[in-house]
Amino acid sequence: MRVSLFITCLVDQLWPSVGASAVEVLRRAGCEVVFDERQTCCGQPAFNTGYRNEARRLARRFIEIFEEGGADYVVSPSGSCTAMAHHFHELFAEDERWRRRAEALAARTYEFGAFLVNVLKVEDVGASFKGRVTWHDACHGLRDLGLREEPRRLIRGVRGAEFVELPNADACCGFGGTFSVKYPEISVAILDNKIDAIEKAGVRAVVSGDASCLMQIGGRLTRNNSQVRTMHLAELLASRE
Amino acid sequence: MHQQTSETFDQNAREALADVQLRGALRNLATTFGGRRKEAIATVEDWEGLRDRARAAKDETLAHLDKYLEQFADNAERAGAQIHWGRDGAEACRIVLELIRARGASKVVKSKSMATEEIHLNHALEAEGLAPVETDLGEWIIQLAHETPSHIVVPAIHKSKRQIAELFAEKVGIEPTDDVAVLTGAARRILRRQFAEAEVGISGVNFGVAETGTILILENEGNARLTTSLPRTHIAVMGIEKVIPRFTDLDVFLKLLPRSGTGQRLTAYQSLITGTKRRPEDEGPEELHIVLMDNGRSRMLSHPVTRQSLACIRCGACLNACPVYQQVGGHAYGSVYPGPIGAVITPQLSGLKPAAQLPYASSLCGACREVCPVKIDIPELLLHLRAEVTEGTAAGTAAQHGPVKQRPLERFAFGLYARAWSSPTLYLLGARVARLLQGVVVRKGRIGKVGGLLAKLAPPLAAWTEWRDAPPLAPRTFREQWRDGQYREGN
Amino acid sequence: MSTEQRRNEEARREMFEAIRGHLAASAPHDAVRAAHHAAAAHGEDVSAREEKRATVVFEGTAVERFKQALEAVAGKCFVVRDEAAASEVLRRIAEQRDSQRVAVTDSKLAGRVLKLAALRSEVLENAAVESLFECDLGVTGARWGVAETGTLVIESDAERNRLASLVPAAHVALVEARNVRHTLGEVLQAINERGEGGLSRAITFITGPSRTSDIELTLAIGVHGPAELYVVVIEGEGNG
Repeated sequence: MRVSLFITCLVDQLWPSVGASAVEVLRRAGCEVVFDERQTCCGQPAFNTGYRNEARRLARRFIEIFEEGGADYVVSPSGSCTAMAHHFHELFAEDERWRRRAEALAARTYEFGAFLVNVLKVEDVGASFKGRVTWHDACHGLRDLGLREEPRRLIRGVRGAEFVELPNADACCGFGGTFSVKYPEISVAILDNKIDAIEKAGVRAVVSGDASCLMQIGGRLTRNNSQVRTMHLAELLASRE
Repeated sequence: MHQQTSETFDQNAREALADVQLRGALRNLATTFGGRRKEAIATVEDWEGLRDRARAAKDETLAHLDKYLEQFADNAERAGAQIHWGRDGAEACRIVLELIRARGASKVVKSKSMATEEIHLNHALEAEGLAPVETDLGEWIIQLAHETPSHIVVPAIHKSKRQIAELFAEKVGIEPTDDVAVLTGAARRILRRQFAEAEVGISGVNFGVAETGTILILENEGNARLTTSLPRTHIAVMGIEKVIPRFTDLDVFLKLLPRSGTGQRLTAYQSLITGTKRRPEDEGPEELHIVLMDNGRSRMLSHPVTRQSLACIRCGACLNACPVYQQVGGHAYGSVYPGPIGAVITPQLSGLKPAAQLPYASSLCGACREVCPVKIDIPELLLHLRAEVTEGTAAGTAAQHGPVKQRPLERFAFGLYARAWSSPTLYLLGARVARLLQGVVVRKGRIGKVGGLLAKLAPPLAAWTEWRDAPPLAPRTFREQWRDGQYREGN
Repeated sequence: MSTEQRRNEEARREMFEAIRGHLAASAPHDAVRAAHHAAAAHGEDVSAREEKRATVVFEGTAVERFKQALEAVAGKCFVVRDEAAASEVLRRIAEQRDSQRVAVTDSKLAGRVLKLAALRSEVLENAAVESLFECDLGVTGARWGVAETGTLVIESDAERNRLASLVPAAHVALVEARNVRHTLGEVLQAINERGEGGLSRAITFITGPSRTSDIELTLAIGVHGPAELYVVVIEGEGNG
C-alpha cells in the first residue's frame, strides 16, 4: 500500500511534528509513505476568498504532482485541505479534461483519520497517552467529508487516554480562513464558546484533525495561559507515552 | 447608533457583540430552537428522504418555473382569484396601493409576510397616507418600535420582555408588566378592533400549488386567518419561487417547515385558500388578489448554484444554527433577510455592491447546509458570491449599483501567494525569509499581541494577535527535514 | 383594455421572458453539474449521512394517536360513544365556562349535538361579524382529523361560518372517528380527490389552540385565535 503524503502548508511550516507523526502512524499501519517535495498548497485560501484564478493555478499544480508517483492513495492530515481537493472540479467547469482529472484524483484522496479507519480498517495503531482528552470536530472534516465516528474510534483505541465528549464538539471554532482576520471579533466570540467548554471539560489536551482549528483554539488557550494543550490527531496516535 | 445597512456589517457586528442582552437572547434562540428541532426530527420516519423529496420538488419547479407559474395562475384565476404581475418591489407596491385606492379603502390589516418586508410595502403605503396595521405579535412589536425584523420567524427576538413592556406602555398606554400573558392579552385586545373594522387584508404566501391554484399560509397566532377571512378584499403577495407542483407535495413541506423552524410538528393553523368563495352569502373575502412578484428572483435562475437560493421555504433553521448569527443577530446584516440565507439572497436581490460584505460574514462551517430542509448548499453559494465580488462578474446586479469596490492590496497579496506557492523554490525561500523576520515578534516560543508600525504593515497579523497568540514558524519545515533523510524508514 | 390591464399584460410577458431567458442561460452550467454528479455516483461517496430514523413510533388506533398528539399541543380531546355523549361533553364545557353566547357553523353534526345539549346560552347560526366577536364559545364540525399531528380539517364546502372556530375564545370541534386518518399525507390525498366542483375554497387546518413565542420565546396561548380547543371524537357505529 503506497501512500503519497499531502502535508499541507500549515503543517509543513508550523508543525512539522504533525507530519512526522502522520508518517510514523501510516508506517505502523503497514503503508509505504512517499513525499513529493514539489508540493506546496491546495489553494484553499484563494478559493475561499474568491480568487478562483489563483486557486485554479494551484489546483492544476496539485493535480499534476499527485497524479504522478504511482501511489494508491493521497493522504492528508487536514480535513479542510482534503475537502478542497474534493472541490477542485468546481474550478474546471469550463474544462472537461481537467475536471475529470480532478475527480479521479479526489476519488483517491483521503483525510488521515478517515484513511486509517475506512480504507486500512485500522482503529488501534498502538498509541498510548495518559490523561483526559477531548475532540473538536473540524467543520470541513465533519460536514464536507462526513467524518464523525472515525476520529472517535481512533481516540478510543489509544491506551490510557480517557475520552471526554464536549457538549459542543461539532460547533465551529470560528476560524473560517480569512474570516478569522476579516471579522476577528466575531471569530473570537465564536471561539470563546468552544474555549469555555474545553476548560469545563477538565482535559489535558484538545485534539482535532485540522491544524487551522488547532491554531485558532491553541492561540486563545495560550493567550489565556491555559493548562490545556492542543494536539493533532496524528500526534495523539503517534504518541507512546 | 448609526444607520445599520449591510455596507456597515463589520461595524454593526461590533456593536452587536457589545450588547449583552442581545447575545443572551440569541443564545436562548439557538439552544431552544436547536433542541426542539432535534426532538421534532426524531418523530419523522425518514428525515433525509423527506429533505431529498422536497429539494427534488423544488428543483423540478424551478427548472420549469414558467410552466408551473402559468399553471398556478390559470388555476387560481379559474377559481376566482385575480392575478397581478410585479416585476420588482416598487411595481408590486404600486399594484397593492392601487388596489386599495380603487376600492376607496383605508383600513388595512397585515399578517406576517417576509416578501412585503423585502419590498418595504408598509413604508410605501404609509407614504400615501395609509396606516397598515401589522397583526402578527412580533411584527406588531417591531412596527410600534419602527424597526425591521431581526429574524425570519421571530422578528422581535432581539427585544427583551422589559423592552416590549416599555414599548407597549409608551405606544398603546398599558401598564408595564413582566407577565407575557398580560402583554399578549393586550395585543389581542387592541388588534381585535382592527380586525373587526378592516377593509383590506394583506398576507404573504408560504406555498402556491400549481395543480390547484391554492395558496397556503402557515401561522400560530390566528391573525393570518382573521386577515384573510374578515376583510372584503384579500391581497396576497407571493414571490414567484413559492410555487410547488402538486397538492400532495404539501405533505412533504408541511412536515419539514415547522419542524425545522420552531420544532413543531405543525403550526397551529394552515389556511388553504383556492380562489374566492363559491356563493356571495358565504363568509370570506369578496375578492382575492394574488400579486406575483419577481424582484430579482428570475435572475437567480441563471446558474444552478444561485438557483438553489429559490428553494428556500423561509423556515429560519439556518439562522438558528449559524454561529455568526448567534453572535451578532439579524440587524447587523442590514437586511430583512439575515443569517446564512440572508447573506446569499440579499446580495442577489439588493445588489452585490451594497451587500458585498455579507458573503464574507461566514466561517463556512456548513451548519446551515446541515439543517436546511431543502438542502440548499449555502457555503457553496457563499463561495460563488465571493468569487463574484473579486471577479466582478455579478450578472445584472452590477448594472444596478455599479461595480463592487475592489481590494487592491488583498488582490496583490493573493496574486503573490499564488505565484510564490506555485514554485517550490520560491515557497522555500519565502519560508526562510519569514523565519528570519519573525524573530522580531516571537517571544517565548509564540507571537503575542502585535502593535505599532508592524500592526499597520500587517493588519491580518494585528487582527489575529489582538486576541490570540500566533504560532512561530518551525525552525525547519517538514520538507527540509524529509530532504535531510530525517524520515527515512528505520530512523 | 385599461392601463392597468395593459401594464399587467406587459409585466407578465416580461416576467416570463426573464424566467425563460435565465433558465436558458443556465443550461450549460446545469450540464456540467449533471456530468459531475454522474461521475460522483460511480466514485466513492465519502459523506456519511446522519441516520435519522424515527425514535418515536406510535402503536394504536388513529383516534388514540390523535388524542395523544392533540394533548401534546395543549388541546383537549374527548372520545365518546355517540352524539348524545358528545352533547354531554359540550354542555359541561359550556357550563364550566359560563358561556353566554355560542357561535355555530352550519355543520349538520354540530347542529344535532347542540340540539341535544340544550344549552342555556344563546346560540347564533350564521352570526354577523359584530355578533361573532361577542361570542364566547364556537362549535363546529370537522371534515377530517389527522392523527399523527392532532390536526382538525375544516372544509368550506362541508360547513360554512368557519369563523366560529377562530373568533370566540374557546372552540369545540366535533369529528367522527371514521374521518380521523393516521397521516397528513392520507388526508391531503383525500381532500385532493375532489369531485367536479374542485377543492373547497377555504380549507383550514387547526392543531391546538392559538399560540405565540414572539416575546423572549416564552409560550403564550390564545393570541388571536381561541385559547382553548376541545375536540370531541364521536365513535358511532362501525368504527375501528
